[in-house]
Amino acid sequence: MTGTGAAAPRTGWPAISGVVRRLPEYMTIWVPLLLSAAHLVSFSLWTIWISFTPSTLVPVSGWVGLRNYTAVMASRNWKIAFDNLLLFGSAFVLLSLVTGLILAILLDQRIRGENVLRSIFLYPLAVSFVVTGTVWSWLLNPGLGIQKLVHDLGWTSFRFDWLVDRDMAIWTIVIAAIWQSSGFAMALFLAGLRSVDADIIKAAQIDGAGPIRTYWRVILPTLWPITITVVVVQLQFAISAFDLVRALTNGGPGIATQLPALVVYDLMFQRSQLGRGAAAAVLMLLILLVVLLPYAAWRYVQRRRATHA
Amino acid sequence: MPITTTRRRLLAGSAAALALPAFARAQSAVKPRLTAISQWSAGSDGAAITALGKKFEEKGGIWQHSPVPGFTTEMMNKLRAQIIAGDPPACSQLKGPEIAAWSKIAPTVNLDALVAAAGYEKVVAPDLARLHKPEGKWISLPLQIYSTNMLFLSKRAMDKAKADKIPVTWADFNDLAEKMKAGGITYPIANGGTRPDDGQKFEASFAGISPASYRAAIMNLDKKALEGPEIKAAFAQVRKIANWMDPNVGAQPYATNLKRFVDGDMGMMIQGGWAQGVLRNAGFKFDDFIIAPGPSDNSRPVFLLNADAFIFWQRKEPDLQAGQTLMAQLVMDPAIQTMYSQITGSIPVRTDVDLSGDGWSDGQRRTAAALKDAVANNQAVLSLAHNMAQENGLTAAMIDVLTEYVKNKTITPEQAVTRLAEAVEGSR
Repeated sequence: MTGTGAAAPRTGWPAISGVVRRLPEYMTIWVPLLLSAAHLVSFSLWTIWISFTPSTLVPVSGWVGLRNYTAVMASRNWKIAFDNLLLFGSAFVLLSLVTGLILAILLDQRIRGENVLRSIFLYPLAVSFVVTGTVWSWLLNPGLGIQKLVHDLGWTSFRFDWLVDRDMAIWTIVIAAIWQSSGFAMALFLAGLRSVDADIIKAAQIDGAGPIRTYWRVILPTLWPITITVVVVQLQFAISAFDLVRALTNGGPGIATQLPALVVYDLMFQRSQLGRGAAAAVLMLLILLVVLLPYAAWRYVQRRRATHA
Repeated sequence: MPITTTRRRLLAGSAAALALPAFARAQSAVKPRLTAISQWSAGSDGAAITALGKKFEEKGGIWQHSPVPGFTTEMMNKLRAQIIAGDPPACSQLKGPEIAAWSKIAPTVNLDALVAAAGYEKVVAPDLARLHKPEGKWISLPLQIYSTNMLFLSKRAMDKAKADKIPVTWADFNDLAEKMKAGGITYPIANGGTRPDDGQKFEASFAGISPASYRAAIMNLDKKALEGPEIKAAFAQVRKIANWMDPNVGAQPYATNLKRFVDGDMGMMIQGGWAQGVLRNAGFKFDDFIIAPGPSDNSRPVFLLNADAFIFWQRKEPDLQAGQTLMAQLVMDPAIQTMYSQITGSIPVRTDVDLSGDGWSDGQRRTAAALKDAVANNQAVLSLAHNMAQENGLTAAMIDVLTEYVKNKTITPEQAVTRLAEAVEGSR
């Protein structure tokens, strides 16, 4: 076995020797890639298949058509989860984008202690969502956290009870999620800001543009690609959000802060309705595709334009 | 340390000598071994199952219990994984209609002979027995019973309200709550805000207003009863209870409020009998609180049954089979049931256990008396909130409606009735 490998280069077959020499590379790239692709695809296909079966406690074969889908989409839980996703997804993405951008612009002013500040803003990203959720659930609990602190300081009419207010509870998740991930947006934006050609900025200054105008007309337009990346990354997080909500509100008060991932877990593992859970999971996948397909199309168009130019 | 070693050897030697007869017996057959899973890991539940394990070991068995902390559904996920892998535990916790549902996906052990030998069937409430012998064969054994609608009264809160009468009907209950409020207790109700807790508020209200209507609507899913006046009245009562609770409770478990309850800052709690075990385990005394059957409008006790049970899964290994036999005998043993219930605060499944002894509390005696009374008057019904009345999927769909109703005060009782009926329809 080893003999042929060692003999190959000496016999002078350059093509084969090249393949043998690059075998470790192929092994490290293609084997894991194929394995994970097979994993991903096979389990997705399996979930899709389960979603058309009457499975309850354990997977069973059989065909029920779209019954699981209609049942999930007709359920109040799913409707609430879907509305919440629209609200949470757009509010979270927009606000974390704005917060991240503002932080990045402020840090970009060549201030002292930039490294320390950058670490502070990035740090929440290193904390798991469960920890974030638990800590914020204490901070936001009116009987324990911020409201109690302000009351104890003497302002007794102060009210901040969003966590137990079913109309506002979804915003507590937005707050915690922004705290966690605006640092990520900041880091990307900061890198973008730093990569703007200094000559262009100088040219703008020579033309008499103030700092605000420079940012607005010259620097920010170059950040487009980064913005799109941030939006896509944050959106897929928003759609698959689970641990944060589970720790922070657990879908409550009542079922006011349900999100699709919670519904999937609930159906599969709390209610023993595997078929419906799988249907909900497939619906989540479809929602993700709604986000990812336009992104892929946009990337494609960009690349075409780049090669044509 | 030579001295200690000798002493240890001496001890080991004498232990071996004592164990000789047991060893001789074990030679003739295999050593019984039991693999078991349950959700009981900590507190009084954990202590009780550990004590049961000790008894199992005293009888010469090997006890291999793997607790899965959390709700019962978490334990079920492990059970499901083990069954799919073809390696079920010899015995697992399971209860209510789930016993019948799960027994369809993996073979179970027929315990009829053991049950007959122990004369167990005669001493188990018939409604309960039925749940544990789907298709007529005993495959699981109930271990302990709780009522989910016990009324816990804080003695200090009663003093503040200058009240000494235990409420019997919902009208009495509401009066007492108002009195407590007038006596300076801002939140007369000390319940938590978890899903089962919200479900309990509803089932206690509904069954207390009309056990017959509860049986028809919740247990038999009768369409007319699901939209009847009794269920509407129950939702109205739940709203009253919700309004007397601390709004900051969110999704906290009831145990968060126990100290405020004992201190008299909160007055009453509608909870399962297990709260007695939790209160005792937290260091509170029997003098701190009173336990009575939950309010019932016809003044006779209504018992919302919740029973923990073990189901036995078929295994080929002779040692596991011997372990299953030993475990079944232990679970049915009145002395074991006494030991178990005295730790957890439940009452024994066996109706022939004498509760007059020292180890029992007044609350447990009242609970046992209430069960007897309720069974005689057909007022013992199965708990919805604790998965005794319906399978998990349907239960969860109904509790969605209940927990949302408790938290959202703009939903009217009429709307809640419609939503509950819709949830039942959508889930079937």
